[in-house]
Amino acid sequence: MRKRTLKRSLTGFWWFTLAFLYLPLAVVALFSFNASNSAARFTGFSWRWYERLLGNEEILSAFANSMGLAIVSSTVALVVGCLIGYGMYRHRHRKLGWLIVLIYLPIVLPDIVFGISEMAFFVQVHRLTGFLQPGLGTMIIAHVTFQIPFVALIVYSRFVGLDPTLFEAAKDLYATPIKRVIHFMLPTIKPALISAFFLSFTLSVDDFVISFFTAGPESATLPIYIWGAIKKGISPEINAIATLMIAAVAIVAAISLIFSRRRQA
Amino acid sequence: MSYAGVTPSARSRAMVRESRHLLFTVAPGAIWIVIFLVLPSAYLMGVAFMTNGPYGLPEMPLSLGSFERLAGFGFLGWSPGNLYTLLRSLWQTLVSTGLVVLVAYPIAYYISTCRERWRPIMLLLVVVPSWTNQVIRTFGWMNLLAPGTPLSSLAEGLGLIAPNMGLYPSNFAVTLGLVYNFLPFMVLPLYAAFEKLDTAQVEAAQDLYASPVRAFWHAVFPQTLPGLLAGVVLVAIPAFGMYVIPELLGGGKGMMLGNLVANQFSGGANWPLGAAGAILMLIATFIGLYAMRRIGKRLGGGEEVVI
Repeated sequence: MRKRTLKRSLTGFWWFTLAFLYLPLAVVALFSFNASNSAARFTGFSWRWYERLLGNEEILSAFANSMGLAIVSSTVALVVGCLIGYGMYRHRHRKLGWLIVLIYLPIVLPDIVFGISEMAFFVQVHRLTGFLQPGLGTMIIAHVTFQIPFVALIVYSRFVGLDPTLFEAAKDLYATPIKRVIHFMLPTIKPALISAFFLSFTLSVDDFVISFFTAGPESATLPIYIWGAIKKGISPEINAIATLMIAAVAIVAAISLIFSRRRQA
Repeated sequence: MSYAGVTPSARSRAMVRESRHLLFTVAPGAIWIVIFLVLPSAYLMGVAFMTNGPYGLPEMPLSLGSFERLAGFGFLGWSPGNLYTLLRSLWQTLVSTGLVVLVAYPIAYYISTCRERWRPIMLLLVVVPSWTNQVIRTFGWMNLLAPGTPLSSLAEGLGLIAPNMGLYPSNFAVTLGLVYNFLPFMVLPLYAAFEKLDTAQVEAAQDLYASPVRAFWHAVFPQTLPGLLAGVVLVAIPAFGMYVIPELLGGGKGMMLGNLVANQFSGGANWPLGAAGAILMLIATFIGLYAMRRIGKRLGGGEEVVI
């Protein structure tokens, strides 16, 4: 009897928590369809804020910046991180404590310290040498820096999960190291490479703090644009662009759910 | 790998080859992180010990002035502003971490009691909001707590806030935002702990006529402690350095350490002071990491829970 009341109240609490988690997102989505520009009252359905988005050049260029930044930084991080991941695996019997510390550093450093130290560094280097002017270039550098560890760890754990005798077999089968890489190593770690790329991509698109501090005047990404718009005063257009970003996340979540289902089956 | 039966010179040649291999694979990334993260952080730490120049940029000579400023000592004598910000950061971290535990504990337990095929979906439902951009999530709360919204009107009707003030900007809004932001960080490690809970211990307690409270306290709680502590570290460390949430939901009186630091690099322009604040944040981070390692060693499984 008591057990049942416990279960029932837990179920209630679960739904309450879900409401708490989704309410802010739902409000953003709801008001993106608001006919008036009131942020407090819903007066009717309209697409006008979405239509405005298409004509807003700042948003379109912020979107382009976000995508370009994510693609370039994830690609660089994939190459560099993959090399480290393999090196860590191949030489795992050596004492590589310093390397582990180095790789965990970008993960554990607080965002704000990360962003500000890079900003201070870039500003001083630019003052002294003229290189590294704040802009998309410095943002790419900063993003690659926080993406490398994730790629390295994913690739490393994929290698660890493999049967070590596979490497011996590959050595016997393929003569040159380059052939071994192309015909054995890359195909076997392909799933890890794909998930590492997508994780880096998501981290890059999602990042605000580090981008904000390393950005230049012309290199605003979507989160930076939204931040600026909020600071200037809330406009319903932000709701529309934010809703599109929430929808993108929902789609990714649905895809990952389908994949995990398939793996279970 | 064994080199038995190989001549010494061939062996040393193989070792050279191995070392070169290590160099080619690891060096690019390691050098990248050293140049673009270790050097900048070292520079930032150096800045904390320099003097604030006329344009907010660091200058020689070395001094501890920035730490004095952080503790409130300025040209006009002592003022409590910065100390209040520090205390507020600590207070917000404590309160929000506590609230996150109170919400996450029953949720993690509930998920672990549900049918196995539902559990991944339930976990996904908890995690998905945190995949959306932090700025957007916080913006959602701004919409919910602004003056004139149902929640604000309700709080007004109950006499909790002055008329037409709205629930944001306020310290309450910051706490709420922090709890919202970090809930998944606590649910995941706690769920992992509940998932591998040894129910035999609970049954033994019940067989010995332990009251439900005692059974929970002696048979369940200790088993979930590693997950709980891991969650506390995962929540408390980033909460202490939070920038976005207090900036948007807190207003001038809700500032936390992260905002104090960031302001010194933009508006306020006092790099050494900002760098001193950053060092404080780093110290907090390393205390947290150290605590986590200790927990992992003492209780076992702590680290594995985190990853």
